[in-house]
Amino acid sequence: MKHFLALILFFGAILPLFSQSDSITELQTVLLNDNKLADFSTGQQLTTITDSLLNYNQPSLTSVLNYNTPIYFKENGLGMVSSPSFRGTTAQQTAVIWNGININSQFNGQTDFNTINAGSFNEISVRPGGGSIIYGTGAIGGTVHLNNRLSFSEKMDNQVHLSYGSFNTLDARYRINISTKKWTTQLSVTRNQSDNDYDYPENDGKNLNGEFYNTSLNTAIGYRFSSANIIRFYSQFYDSERHFSLIRPSENRTKYDDVNSRNLLEWEIGFDKFTSLAKIAYLEEEYKYFQNIKRDNFSSSKAKTWIAKYDLNYDISSGMQLNGILSYNSTTGVGTNIAEKNREITSASLLFKHQPLEKIQYELSFRKEVTAAYESPFLYAVAADFQVTDFYLLQAKISKNFRIPTFNDLYWSTGGNPTLAAEEAQQFEIGNKFSFNSFTFSLTGYYNSIENMIRWLPSGSGFWQPENVDEVETYGAEILLNWKKNWKNHQVQLNGTYAYTVSENKATENQLIYVPYHKATTSLYYQFKNWFLEYQFLFNGEVFTRTDNNSTYNLEAYSLSNVGFGYHFNQHNVGIKSHNIFDAPYQNVENRPMPGRYYSLYITLNF
Amino acid sequence: MKKTTRFLALIFCSVLFLTSCSNDDDFTPPEDSKNPEEPGEEQGKYKNGIFVLNEGGIGTVTYISDDLENVEQTIFQNVNEGEDLGGYAQSIFFEDDLAYIISNGSNLITVVNRYTFELVGKVDSGLEVPRYGVIYNGKAYVTNQGDTLDGGVDDFLTIINLETLEVEQTIPLGAQGEALEFIEEENGKLYIQKSSYNLGKKIAVFNPTTNEVENTIETYYIDDNHPGLNSFEIEDGFIYTLSGNHLEKFNINTLTIESNVVLNYQEGDASKLEIEDDQIYFTVGTSVYTLGMEDTEKPEEPILTYNSDSEYGVMYGFEVEDNRIFVADGGDFASDSFVEVYDLEGNLLKNISVGLGPNGFYFND
Repeated sequence: MKHFLALILFFGAILPLFSQSDSITELQTVLLNDNKLADFSTGQQLTTITDSLLNYNQPSLTSVLNYNTPIYFKENGLGMVSSPSFRGTTAQQTAVIWNGININSQFNGQTDFNTINAGSFNEISVRPGGGSIIYGTGAIGGTVHLNNRLSFSEKMDNQVHLSYGSFNTLDARYRINISTKKWTTQLSVTRNQSDNDYDYPENDGKNLNGEFYNTSLNTAIGYRFSSANIIRFYSQFYDSERHFSLIRPSENRTKYDDVNSRNLLEWEIGFDKFTSLAKIAYLEEEYKYFQNIKRDNFSSSKAKTWIAKYDLNYDISSGMQLNGILSYNSTTGVGTNIAEKNREITSASLLFKHQPLEKIQYELSFRKEVTAAYESPFLYAVAADFQVTDFYLLQAKISKNFRIPTFNDLYWSTGGNPTLAAEEAQQFEIGNKFSFNSFTFSLTGYYNSIENMIRWLPSGSGFWQPENVDEVETYGAEILLNWKKNWKNHQVQLNGTYAYTVSENKATENQLIYVPYHKATTSLYYQFKNWFLEYQFLFNGEVFTRTDNNSTYNLEAYSLSNVGFGYHFNQHNVGIKSHNIFDAPYQNVENRPMPGRYYSLYITLNF
Repeated sequence: MKKTTRFLALIFCSVLFLTSCSNDDDFTPPEDSKNPEEPGEEQGKYKNGIFVLNEGGIGTVTYISDDLENVEQTIFQNVNEGEDLGGYAQSIFFEDDLAYIISNGSNLITVVNRYTFELVGKVDSGLEVPRYGVIYNGKAYVTNQGDTLDGGVDDFLTIINLETLEVEQTIPLGAQGEALEFIEEENGKLYIQKSSYNLGKKIAVFNPTTNEVENTIETYYIDDNHPGLNSFEIEDGFIYTLSGNHLEKFNINTLTIESNVVLNYQEGDASKLEIEDDQIYFTVGTSVYTLGMEDTEKPEEPILTYNSDSEYGVMYGFEVEDNRIFVADGGDFASDSFVEVYDLEGNLLKNISVGLGPNGFYFND
């Protein structure tokens, strides 16, 4: 019944509209850094959100993905710690990939989606399902790809995006692209800050100690010796301070600082049937947690990672491709609770893609890691695409993926368990994609069996220790829908997602807490001449908050709507947006009320 | 004092993957919770019974009638609509008609009428990770752990004016490895356990007239890699301590050690010392053992062993009172758990569902 209701909500939002063609973004010859994503996604759906759409969203990655993908987010109050659950998996089982490099934390294995400013990227892609062979640890529920695009053309352009709204929230983004036939440079800076002191919609409460800021500097540089000989460099520096909001005024006020820097240099050469890609990356992550901001004491952790990767692709024939990847990863981590440790991981992957018939392609791939730090399984994937008719694509993939133990899991003092093995996920999915002109619809079913899940339990001696104890089974279905139409002065774009998710602890057969059975999103963009209207809808089903699934404590389902309208002039946009326009009271995490209706005003200038 | 461990670990966890914090604001009592018995209603419906403190998430109190027949969950929230006890309820102390409920996660003490559970007042400033309290001479003395990552260095005692419910004095008593925990009053002196999570070996003797530590008892201790002082009890002029699996007995006047019984068991460490009716009780894993006040050898057989699936909340609360043994199981701390009541022969009298993370029993007469 609830299922049905959600579907009605979902389609109800769609039906009222109708009608023709393209536009919001125009792509030119682009060089996507993460070409593996385009080349090796057989059997999987890829959703891409381009920068023009990113400007209509709040800057946090949570907000962008929450309204545009089936990923569920558990947000500990607006702007606070945000953990994804992708296809019913844990936060450590979604990998975040920055220009092809896995950036999940070395300490807790996850990415806090409120510490990524989506405005730093030209496009964000989401690929549900396993991806450990190319992207490594955590690519179980799915992968989120943050990409900077470089293009070589004689031009210079600037973009300024400024937004100001309720709770003294500022979102400022500036980007410049300068390129010639040989050189290309993209620089951007983003700043997001907020007092975040919203009133609770349901009672007299107020969000206390929720203020935050973050700043990010991004550089991407490319140099082209020839069309088959290119050097690229990407760099990101991110600095943020976030206070963690209180439940009661008497609680200790805490805050969390983090600083991340990411650098990647790569050199691509093509010769004959070979493409050689050498990469070297250096990543730093550092956090400080202040248990009481009245004091100076804090606990901290810092990790430095070097990655060297060599990737050689061989086009055996026009429909056959063989690709080998060797990678070496060395991480040194140290912190208040971690004595300095170094971890080295070497891995080898082999990918083979073949299109024996015009309508059929398949992929076989393997990966094995060698490390002294933990036990790592042999990974494989078999995937196929079958274009059954010109409008129907059938896809399937079977794979084994993993999540490696983190520095905290292995080395936390006291309790870190150096004998841990990696979490393993055996996966199967089948997808059906229908495309009719400007309308696409896909329905995907999947099954995951995840074993050796790491959970922290206090040991007999009193301190906590992680163990490979849990076994979880997740299965469900995803629907993605996209429709675009332009006619005369009108332009319409519609996107919808729906996810049905079962995520069950195999021992207890209970649904995992904070995984809703249903989630649906819709976004609609309508433009008439220079005016545009946008509407976003989100439905999150009821979630359990107790492991025994005692429904007394469930968090209720909620629906949110955001409405915005604005005006295009020349290349520019101005707009206003109302979030949670129906002022719905809701909690995403127990006891953490989220804001009611609030507003933002924005302007985007392109010159 | 696994509570501390858990709290520490939660701090660590909550930074990045906060899992559960309960909100019992809009909780409605389960349909099977019956109204307590009529007798005593005029003095308050919670007279003559047992309170189980559930730490939460958000703390709750379960009331169990003395005959174990009637159970009511979340009594504070039921009586005081829109109020709750704060995060991680730690302990309760009593004086006259009032009960003082300490929440260590919210730096809060909620004062209620112990018979009606109606809210009387709150102490909501001047505390930092409060743990245990006691009342002496019209004032409340409450131990605080302050920064829980510093190993006890900044721990302090607060003296609370019971008229104004304001902290009127803060006395630093901490040191490395001397985190403040349990506090008890005897003959005008306050005995403060300076060991949390079995890390420590001292009991400070605090004089509330001079506000100074007069003396310190040191219990059996090897080093930080071995368990230290777990708990103590004062009975008939002696301080009984359980430290590093040694049951020691100190003369309260001379503070000299009078006897020592080694309680070494394969199954785990001896914890949670209780003395009731001239009999000593303690727990090892899921078992309860007992010995006489003058016994010099450890008991070999437990009086009871209860069943627990809990991976880290075994014997989360334990008490012996009026010929009954009360055991609380922490469960998985992410769903409601249970308590069990046994007679002194170890026969199970009742298994009762309670709230999230039950950690203590208090008896209302």
